[in-house]
Amino acid sequence: MKCKRCRRAEAAVDLPSHHAAFCPDCFFLFFRRQVKEGIRKLRLLDPEDRVLVCVSGGKDSLVLWDVLMDEGYETEGLYIDLGIDGYSDRSREKVLAYAASRGKTPIVVELAKEGIPIAEAARCVRMQECSICGTVKRYFFNRVAAEGKFTVVATGHNLDDETARLLGNLLHWQRDHLARQHPLLPGADGGLVRKVKPLWRVSEVETAAYGFLKGIDYVTEECPMSEDATSLVYKEALSRIEDRMPGTRIVFYKGFLDPSNPLRKGPEGEAAPVQEDAPEENTVRGTETDSEEGGGAPRACASCGAPTYTETCSFCRMKERVRKARSQRAARVSR
Amino acid sequence: MYNDAMITVRLPQKKTELELPGPRRVMDLLAEAGVRPTTVIVTQGKKLLTKDHRVEDGATIDVLSVVSGG
Repeated sequence: MKCKRCRRAEAAVDLPSHHAAFCPDCFFLFFRRQVKEGIRKLRLLDPEDRVLVCVSGGKDSLVLWDVLMDEGYETEGLYIDLGIDGYSDRSREKVLAYAASRGKTPIVVELAKEGIPIAEAARCVRMQECSICGTVKRYFFNRVAAEGKFTVVATGHNLDDETARLLGNLLHWQRDHLARQHPLLPGADGGLVRKVKPLWRVSEVETAAYGFLKGIDYVTEECPMSEDATSLVYKEALSRIEDRMPGTRIVFYKGFLDPSNPLRKGPEGEAAPVQEDAPEENTVRGTETDSEEGGGAPRACASCGAPTYTETCSFCRMKERVRKARSQRAARVSR
Repeated sequence: MYNDAMITVRLPQKKTELELPGPRRVMDLLAEAGVRPTTVIVTQGKKLLTKDHRVEDGATIDVLSVVSGG
């Protein structure tokens, strides 16, 4: 199969959803154009932005960092070491090696040092690991960005991630979550930094192909904590549909983002709040149901000063629950 | 054991390896391996293969899952 763009070189990537196939050089152009269009259409980034790119060692976040650097954005990487045996070490190695290849040193936050390693926290507070991980990551994304005077936080969520989340929210009619779901979450006074998902137009196959062809060495193993993640069920369903009807995923998501879509409003039709510090993900199977959404400017958490819509932010509440569970356990052991 | 009359299909994330007769297109090998094309990229050494690429006997290809969860 020849490249549909240059019509000379052999194609390396076929994209039925775009009725196209590209050689490596033409695919790089195509991919970067998709990301740039995604940024331009939703005004995700300004050329003057200082971007904190959240990198996990996986393909999406490293590819995002790569593209943003190539496009001339001022970026720094943030890696959060979740403290998961083996997996976190291997992920960290990939991040450090990639960063070094681009002359960068990422900011590293170690959850073990912060007193809240994911596995132990999940046991202590009886929540799904992915819910805890989401809460903890959002907290540090914002804190590091605010402290480091970054103007925006960028994550590597792609089209597959966003449509899986959309499907989950629709199936359970999570109207408040639907109202908040968007590749751009504006910042607010009080230290809430803008958050963006510049890869919202590209699929996982496309980011993986880009990473492979660019020689980016990413972690291919899955997080051992995510084996039972509900998002994988939605991804599976959507990929079956995409196999039969290529292009359905992007139509689904673009239709959802249409400003005239009534689901983009809150449950009562009011303008929806855009950021919160409760889990963004569909947590139907989890126990975290205390949504903290709120309108207007956030206030400072009574414990840590982070922006929140409740007295104490969800991270501090979780940390307190972990602390209590630890002391109860210690008391039981000493009896 | 390595068999140069067959295609070796490695699925590293599943820690499995299949020996399938060739020559065959990538999409046919994926169907035989029970893998949906929109969930993987397929590589041969440093080359990325399209789904209609014809793989010859004796070749080794890697099927890499692209699905991330959580």
